[in-house]
Amino acid sequence: MSQLAGAGRLTRFALRLDAWKLVPWIAIIALFPLASYSAYDSLFPTPRDAVVLEVSLQTNPAFTLLFGHATNLETAAGFTTWRIQVFGMFFTALMAIFTVTRHARASEDTGQAELVDSGAVGQHARLASGVLLAWAASAAVAALIAGTLTAAGAAPEDALALGGMLGGMGIAFAGVAAVTAQIGSYARTANALAAAVLVASYVLRGLGDTLEDAEWLLWTNPMGWAELIRPAAENNPGPLALLAAVGIATAAVGARLARRRDFGAGLLRQGTGPDRSTAGISRHTVRLSRGPIASWLATSALLGFVYGIVAGTMSGFFSENPFVQQILAARAATEEDLVFAFVQMLTFIMAIIAAVFGVQLALRFAVEEDERRSEWVLSAPLARARYLAPTVAAALGAPTVAVAVSGTVLGTTAVATGTRADAWLVLLQTLAHAPAVWLAAALALALVGAAPQLRWIAWLALVYWIVLTLFGPVLKAPDWLMDTSPFHVIPRITADDADWAPVVVVLAIAVVLITAGFAAYRRRDLRTV
Amino acid sequence: MSAVSITGLVKTFGRTRALDGLDLEVREGEVLGFLGPNGAGKSTTLRILLGLLRADSGRVELLGGDPWRDVVALHRRVAYVPGDVSLWPQLTGGQAIDLMGRLRGGLDETRRAELIDTFELDPSKRGRTYSKGNRQKVAIVAALSSRAELLVLDEPTAGLDPLMEALFREEIRREKAAGRSVLLSSHILAEVEALADRISIIRQGRVVETGSLEQMRSHARTSVAATLHGGTDQLTSMPGVHDLSVEDHRVRFTVDADGLGSAMNTLATHGVTALTVTPPSLEDLFLQHYGERIPPSGNGAEGIAGEHTRAADDGGRSPRRRPRHRGTPREEERTEDGGPQ
Repeated sequence: MSQLAGAGRLTRFALRLDAWKLVPWIAIIALFPLASYSAYDSLFPTPRDAVVLEVSLQTNPAFTLLFGHATNLETAAGFTTWRIQVFGMFFTALMAIFTVTRHARASEDTGQAELVDSGAVGQHARLASGVLLAWAASAAVAALIAGTLTAAGAAPEDALALGGMLGGMGIAFAGVAAVTAQIGSYARTANALAAAVLVASYVLRGLGDTLEDAEWLLWTNPMGWAELIRPAAENNPGPLALLAAVGIATAAVGARLARRRDFGAGLLRQGTGPDRSTAGISRHTVRLSRGPIASWLATSALLGFVYGIVAGTMSGFFSENPFVQQILAARAATEEDLVFAFVQMLTFIMAIIAAVFGVQLALRFAVEEDERRSEWVLSAPLARARYLAPTVAAALGAPTVAVAVSGTVLGTTAVATGTRADAWLVLLQTLAHAPAVWLAAALALALVGAAPQLRWIAWLALVYWIVLTLFGPVLKAPDWLMDTSPFHVIPRITADDADWAPVVVVLAIAVVLITAGFAAYRRRDLRTV
Repeated sequence: MSAVSITGLVKTFGRTRALDGLDLEVREGEVLGFLGPNGAGKSTTLRILLGLLRADSGRVELLGGDPWRDVVALHRRVAYVPGDVSLWPQLTGGQAIDLMGRLRGGLDETRRAELIDTFELDPSKRGRTYSKGNRQKVAIVAALSSRAELLVLDEPTAGLDPLMEALFREEIRREKAAGRSVLLSSHILAEVEALADRISIIRQGRVVETGSLEQMRSHARTSVAATLHGGTDQLTSMPGVHDLSVEDHRVRFTVDADGLGSAMNTLATHGVTALTVTPPSLEDLFLQHYGERIPPSGNGAEGIAGEHTRAADDGGRSPRRRPRHRGTPREEERTEDGGPQ
């Protein structure tokens, strides 16, 4: 155990360092279920209201694909589970990934780790402290959810199962991150690799939920196992034990791999590179973001493809759903309408992905300033506006390409698999989201230009818009509130009464934000500390 | 025209007054040593000169222009080496040098190759794999291979080994010979002493002294240590003598440039058997301005003697400027005499 000597002390130290980073994550993830549980009675005054929602959700398999099965909405615990499971799992896993990477990898990039490792600590102590901290945070999420929901009146076993579902994901992905931290040479690569595992897991479980006879897919990945716990319905302990076991096993693999790499290097080594370059500031900016651009475009294409395949199964789904058959028989809607409702939901998700991409590209500009490379670059004859411009172009342009790619792939895949849809309309609907994507990026650009220390607001706004757009209608949010989301005001292009005025407003706000970002960046001091 | 001319510069960060009425001038073609400890305001001054920070008040002129307004035009004529060079982790040093060159509209290819060779820099390594010294070299090569008229260097040799430091000094001399002006911020006294035509000492956001090393020396006192054959009674009345201490036949004191001659005459009449005269080093000058931060001397008697005489003749000066001489000659003498070691 001498390899772990000092791990306890390091974990306590890490906890002190990270407490303020972790508290918001834990609080937001853990209190969201309570809010949803408490709102249940006012949302669904009678059991019939809940059944209506359940049935209407079943007409659109996009909901199942994105959020899992909505099976037990007649109880508050069942509704809470449906509402938060995918988001909760996703964010708990991200929290665990970032925590482990910060200690096991990022600290090597910044040199803190050298200081720690040279102390009287075991070879694996630093990795262990990061993993332990992530596990503790995951356990805190689980305990908070179980405690608050039980206190609010939920059955303790339902509350525990839901808490365990999220906490288990955190434990499993802390282990995954312990492995990816050894593979990537940079913290960013390590995070991206672990996030890729998370996204793949999300997509696989979506297919497992949606496609026929595909439940076995749930057994192939952590998010699938977590779903198989089925909180508030079956409350299975088996999959939870599997998540914990995988977390421990992968952490051990991470420790083994750690011995096979050098300090500061990854198993994926980057050798020497070209000693000359002709890049100016534009090519330089793109070059810095080459990795994220490639991986986000690939993700967009993959999502378009997967969603396209699912769309292809729609006909079979509709023919088996008695409620849908009623709607079609009453001529209340055509199959094309229902398909397009499904597709519109998917195009929204792809727009969200593109917005995350755009915000990330925009915020990298602030990292350059934090790490004081901006200072050096701006000592050259380069106006501030000229320096910011390529980032603006990338943060607006690259996500636009991403939605175009995902829309094209989705449309063509859906048509190729026999969906009754028009590939061209699918692409147009996806592109219709571009102004909302630009607004998200524009907010990030304004913050980067004016107040980079407040740039987290860009992420906060994006999360707010996602949650509001996805759940606002279900939660009967008032119109004025819904209209605060640029993604909500994008009309369905096939509707006769499509209202484009709000889109013009969205565009105008985006232009104002970007202009403000430029103006502020020209006028302010560079951050030097 | 001066390359840099600053008067009454003030810059505050929140409540901290980083620069408090700073005056600085770099004449064309000279190397100005900008000397001060960490946190005195050196980097802030340089960043204002480069238009990275905006001055609160005061007049700042860079190559005849306004560094905040005329950024692009001025930066074509200025090259900068930041204090702590941060490179792009995934880009090579060569790519970083070429980016800076490209932004300046081209660099001197021969000079680039020559400098990379001189500093033994491997330009194909990635930014993250360089040591601190090598990151510094990347920025130095980028700056020196530009065709700038003014070099602004913020502690450029931090992290360089002594051999590279010597090579760097050689390169700066070449730059100077080529007619370029250099603003060299540093806390390394030897480097400034070796390179600078003039020196400005900054303290708590103000330049407290400016001049050539010779001028500064003439203001500062020479340290004298002597062993006398005869008595020491007349010494106290010598003009311009300070910090006098007498132990049996050994005397130590510092003396102003004006009083040096008469002091030597007086010593001669007392029968000198041993004599050490040490001109003030840059370190002494520096310590004159920062003396109060030095921990009290271990040798009680000397400390008190020094304090005493200083207090007596310090009347008109600001309390901040408390000179104290703890030069090398005493150290040497102690060793020789088997003194309080």
